[in-house]
Amino acid sequence: MAEMQVADSGGGKKGGKVRAKKMSTRIDFTPMVDLGFLLITFFMLTTTLAKPQIMALVMPEKDIDKTDLEPVKESKVLTLMLGKDDKVYWYEGITDAKLDSTDFSAEGLRKVILNKMDKVEQQFGLEDYKKKNKEGVEEDLKGSFVNVIIKPTKESTYKNLVDALDEMAITKVRYYVILDVSKLEEDFIKNPAGGLKFSAEEQAEATTK
Amino acid sequence: MPKHKPKRGAPTIDMTAMTDVAFLLLTFFMLTAKMKPSESVVVDTPSSISDTKLPDAGTLTLLVSKEGAVHLDMVGQHTRKYLIENVDTAYKLNLTPEQKVRFANGTGFGVSREKLKQFLSTEDNAVKEALQKNGIPIDTADINKSELADWIHRARLAQFEMKKQDIVKEEYVIVIKADRSTPYPAVQKVINTLVDINVNKFNLITNTEAKPGAEKE
Repeated sequence: MAEMQVADSGGGKKGGKVRAKKMSTRIDFTPMVDLGFLLITFFMLTTTLAKPQIMALVMPEKDIDKTDLEPVKESKVLTLMLGKDDKVYWYEGITDAKLDSTDFSAEGLRKVILNKMDKVEQQFGLEDYKKKNKEGVEEDLKGSFVNVIIKPTKESTYKNLVDALDEMAITKVRYYVILDVSKLEEDFIKNPAGGLKFSAEEQAEATTK
Repeated sequence: MPKHKPKRGAPTIDMTAMTDVAFLLLTFFMLTAKMKPSESVVVDTPSSISDTKLPDAGTLTLLVSKEGAVHLDMVGQHTRKYLIENVDTAYKLNLTPEQKVRFANGTGFGVSREKLKQFLSTEDNAVKEALQKNGIPIDTADINKSELADWIHRARLAQFEMKKQDIVKEEYVIVIKADRSTPYPAVQKVINTLVDINVNKFNLITNTEAKPGAEKE
């Protein structure tokens, strides 16, 4: 279409010699351009420009010498149980634990973790956790205030796990571990009154939320 | 001087510039293109804020489908060739050379060992899909009987051997690629298998997600 072959009137020769029709030397590029764009489209659609990301995960060793382990303060422990339908059940410590639930939104789980960090900071006055690194920049080591235990239940999905791990990365929690949910805790979710030392008011609170 | 007559007929457009641009783009895309690797199972990964890139070479991928079937995929023709030779001799699968080549050039697979020969002798995708329905069997009770653990173990050996022979230079990484909606127990089985064979460090494949910015604190 770029170059229409216009019938050459030749200026209207009047009965002269019949000359060979002069052909245009121009080449119609249209099919080539078409092909070019077709191939561009193909390559654009099949390329993977963005490589997938990876998230490193370290699991505890199976046969670990338990005598070498340092005990963790109970008040620093936050347990998250990933439940059905993107719900997160959480409780602090073990004794007199209150079950609460939240979701994976920024206002949900993230708040819970940050609140826990603040709580630990108030309780222990962990000023020395703000240390200067080699470059002299003050590093926020708030992430080492808490110990988070992630326990995905059977009803949870892989997305829940990744979201929870992502939340650890966002709030810079340094010590977290993935463990299996115990029978006691399953009952705890089902019936918050039964499992881990609940009072009546706390149960009401947990079930209404 | 005769008057200049306006030219009749269709106007011409010079296509040269456009062609130039088109082919420049084409060249760019052809050179930068890396084909989307075809995978034996479609997996839609969840997203995270992690910004570590997946390395190009030396990956051993454990795909976990929506239904929980586990597939194994590894990069590197030589490594795959070594692996299939190893498995063939160890379990006397009597694979033909063509079947071995098909394995070496192929992608992920999710069949039990006894069905592997059948899997490698067919081209029919429907048959392949049917064979891969349950994925690689995992025995969580006895690690020595778990086919997945055996495959991972042998794949690591193959990668180690290739590195020793200087065919492959990269360190291998083990990655888990599971679907968003994969139930956790299926992923748990894979993680437990890895921990059982003393692979405590591995990676999860995710999509990119924007980091939450100043909203925090």
